[in-house]
Amino acid sequence: MPLIECENLVKQFDGKPVLRGIDLVLNEGQVKVIMGPSGCGKSTLLRCLNLLDPPTSGRILFRGEDITRPGVDVRRLRQSIGFVFQHFALYRHLTVQENVTLGLRKIRKMGSRMAREKAVCELERVGMYEHRDKYPAQLSGGQKQRAAIVRALAMDPAVLFLDEPTSSLDPEMSREVVSVINKLFLDNVTMFCVTHDAFLAKYISDSVVFLDGGAVLAEDVAERLFYDHPDPRIRQFFLGVIDMR
Amino acid sequence: MSFWDILAVLAAGAGITLLLSVACMAAALAVGLAVALLSRSRWAPVQRLLVGFTFVFRGIPVLVLLFLVFFGLPGLGLRVPPFLSLVLTLGLVSGAYLAEIFRGAMNAVNREEVLAAEAAGMTRAQGFTYILLPQMFRFSIPGMINEFTAILKYTPFAYTVGIPEIMKRAMSLTPVILRGLEVYLAVGIVYYLIYKACVVIFSALEKRFRIPGLSAQER
Repeated sequence: MPLIECENLVKQFDGKPVLRGIDLVLNEGQVKVIMGPSGCGKSTLLRCLNLLDPPTSGRILFRGEDITRPGVDVRRLRQSIGFVFQHFALYRHLTVQENVTLGLRKIRKMGSRMAREKAVCELERVGMYEHRDKYPAQLSGGQKQRAAIVRALAMDPAVLFLDEPTSSLDPEMSREVVSVINKLFLDNVTMFCVTHDAFLAKYISDSVVFLDGGAVLAEDVAERLFYDHPDPRIRQFFLGVIDMR
Repeated sequence: MSFWDILAVLAAGAGITLLLSVACMAAALAVGLAVALLSRSRWAPVQRLLVGFTFVFRGIPVLVLLFLVFFGLPGLGLRVPPFLSLVLTLGLVSGAYLAEIFRGAMNAVNREEVLAAEAAGMTRAQGFTYILLPQMFRFSIPGMINEFTAILKYTPFAYTVGIPEIMKRAMSLTPVILRGLEVYLAVGIVYYLIYKACVVIFSALEKRFRIPGLSAQER
């Protein structure tokens, strides 16, 4: 059974369609990257999948359960999905460690000591332990994004959603984050990642979905989609974004 | 009676002045927070009501409002004790100002942080309590200090309803010793010392709890 399956997913804002019937499947342990031009609905798709933006129509199945039906426990669903935002969205009044432990204590109802131990373990995993007592304003962009990833991972989600995790970072910091996400990929963490970064897509994905105008135009492994696709629209797009690093 | 004796007599009322200021500030905080929260409602009647509230309580002089509460309400069969009259009056007036301060501070909190809390599975109430409220209060500190000092400076009105604070003691002392200049100079000194002590304490607290990237100046 797939972890997430969406069928004919449609999202409209004020009657204007942003997603036009998306069909997608994400299996456990799989990493799927969603790419496409700005405004094609990539971030909206992620937000629909964890119901931050409820879809207008269509079905989303999470472990076989239809989560678009009325009365679904949205909070329980969101606890199974780690969400990493483009601009980090770290809680600025809390230290890195407190950012990680807050969810563990208040959502997972863990005791302070257990939450702290769990946070330390996760921070060590991405090399952020030495920065645990710093506030977000004292971190570099790459460190902020790593902290945001740890905060999401600490909740032991079934899947990690990454919304353009490298787009607000310079190339050096971007590499720092790509290396962390690549490590998660190698650890078989299930991920849905929206990005413009072909370098990231290439190193962390099992497959890449190309979205255009709110619809899936193609899905394939990164190499084939980037360099060898018959559709001229897709070839033209990737000619523009591929950095041959 | 030396100048020091006058100061000592007045200082005996300083405790009541401070108690009044703290009680009025607590009431103002409650009113300001409630109004700021209600102002997030998109329901038009609530919005209109809050605009009216802010307009009235920022527009009417404090003394007029105090007399309305203390001398006016008994006409409706509602007798409000002197201390409570002042707390109610200054609570409403300063609450109207604080509501604006809180509203601005709330808008300064990054919406995405609250969204991140909800995306992680927190309830709206949890997002409010653990993310929005702590940041909002930090951003509001300079405004709250201003409002506290404004309240402190409004407390001399308490003498008009018979509360034995600094001003009331000065008013009682002057006709006895007939040295108005010294008495009111001493009143000024006592108020200034209280004000200065409060500013020093608040600044120390602000410094103690300052978070990099999150002070009102940095927002």
